[in-house]
Amino acid sequence: MLFALSVLQLLYVLLLSPLIFGILARFEERIESKKGPSIFQPYYTLFKLFRKQPVIPESASPLFHITPYATFTLYTFLTLVLPVITAFPLEFGPTVDFIGGGLVFGAAALLKKIVSLDSRSNYSHLGASRAASMGALSEPITVLIFIMLGVISKTNNPYVINNVLQTSSSWYLSLTHWFVAAAFFMVLLVETGKLPIEHHTTAELGMIDQAMDMEYSGVDLAFSEWGGYAKKFLLMSVFVNVYTVPFFVPMKYDPTAIALYMVVHFLKLLALVVGIGLLEESISKFRLFKNFDYIAISFALAFLSFLAFYTTKGSF
Amino acid sequence: MEKIFTLVGFFEILLVLFMQWEVYTKKIVTTFSIASYTIAAFLFYIGIVENKYLVIILALITATVRGFFIPWFMKRSMVRDHWREREIRPTLSTAFSVLMSLFIVVFAYVLYRVTLYGSVQLSAGSIPIALILQGAFLMVSRRNAFIQLIGYMIMENAIFLFEGYLFPELPFIVEAGVVLDLIGIVAVSGIVVRMMKNSTSDLHESDELRG
Repeated sequence: MLFALSVLQLLYVLLLSPLIFGILARFEERIESKKGPSIFQPYYTLFKLFRKQPVIPESASPLFHITPYATFTLYTFLTLVLPVITAFPLEFGPTVDFIGGGLVFGAAALLKKIVSLDSRSNYSHLGASRAASMGALSEPITVLIFIMLGVISKTNNPYVINNVLQTSSSWYLSLTHWFVAAAFFMVLLVETGKLPIEHHTTAELGMIDQAMDMEYSGVDLAFSEWGGYAKKFLLMSVFVNVYTVPFFVPMKYDPTAIALYMVVHFLKLLALVVGIGLLEESISKFRLFKNFDYIAISFALAFLSFLAFYTTKGSF
Repeated sequence: MEKIFTLVGFFEILLVLFMQWEVYTKKIVTTFSIASYTIAAFLFYIGIVENKYLVIILALITATVRGFFIPWFMKRSMVRDHWREREIRPTLSTAFSVLMSLFIVVFAYVLYRVTLYGSVQLSAGSIPIALILQGAFLMVSRRNAFIQLIGYMIMENAIFLFEGYLFPELPFIVEAGVVLDLIGIVAVSGIVVRMMKNSTSDLHESDELRG
């Protein structure tokens, strides 16, 4: 049964992740009084790319061709272990905890950076360099957040953290928890390439993640893009399921509850997408070197959660 | 009551961190205004709960003077001096000063635990000390005269938060005097800044208050 639910969760994430970002793009265009692309545009783009032959730089090693599939596989694995539609571990749930999940995310990011250098493209090098600078500072914040969640729940298991926050109103309302949630939201914007960190235009001035994929095309690009959608979808799911709205996630096996929660989860993500859309439409992009100030604030929030914990003795 | 004090305290710390992050003076002044209104609301709450009408009056004075008048006066002065609208040359880089401000909060916690905690056993007692030190740090990390003034007033706000919570019995004249003193300080600083500007041709020379 758990295996079937794992497959269901996998399909849910892989099939719906492009839709969420199609809705976000459409929503932002509508705010700007434009007609905007269809919400299914990411599917059309993926379909188009799947039919095209990839072009690989002559100087690139075989790793360049393999990496989009490897990163897609890593994100698929994460889909099987993180709490998306259930708050109890599925078939592969016990294989990694939060730190392990972070390492798998990190492994995928490392592979992407290595092949960006391998492509010998100046733009990809630029993106890899920027992503490495940002990642070197934002990853420790993520670890700090996980440590703090560990303090709250006495474990690093995302399912247990969800259960603790879902059942304990004192932890849910605590300053410690909300500092952690705010810090994670700031990191989420960095990891998903949203404003004020990154703006997806053709201008190389502010490109980070977008520049790393510059040399990919055809099926390779399709897998890279699809993996990217899945990664963002998973991070957003963790944000809503574990950090901010841990409620309604089924804590024990109940097919009706799980089916209902799939709808609720999608609605939660839609609410988050509306929030991100409004944020993106109301702020401008930071200059590249100002991104580090943003990360410093994010670190400050994560660290303040420690102080809030010691100040309130975990009771508020 | 202590929970609300902690909540207000951490909110004030966050606002100071935001000020340290921000380079536009107007936004810093607005943030200070929000910080002052929050303290006024907290004092108002204490006044209602403990049935002390003098604390309620103090809250109203705080809201009027610190929340409204001083920010309004500063923004009005800024309209005349456009070059003051932004911190051009902060003494320290923004990211470093944010981290320093955070370090100060941790330092204040340790300092309070090893010194005052023996006599005033308040779990969130380190917050006002942190705010005082953060305000002082904001003053030394910026060159803009208005931001330095804001730093000074953050220190005042911290003292107000502390004594408003711990010593609401303090004579009204002392507490109200502290608030009204600020008007004098801001007005005198405004005159000094204007005199400095008129007496030098180098704008960078006049953007800093020096002893």
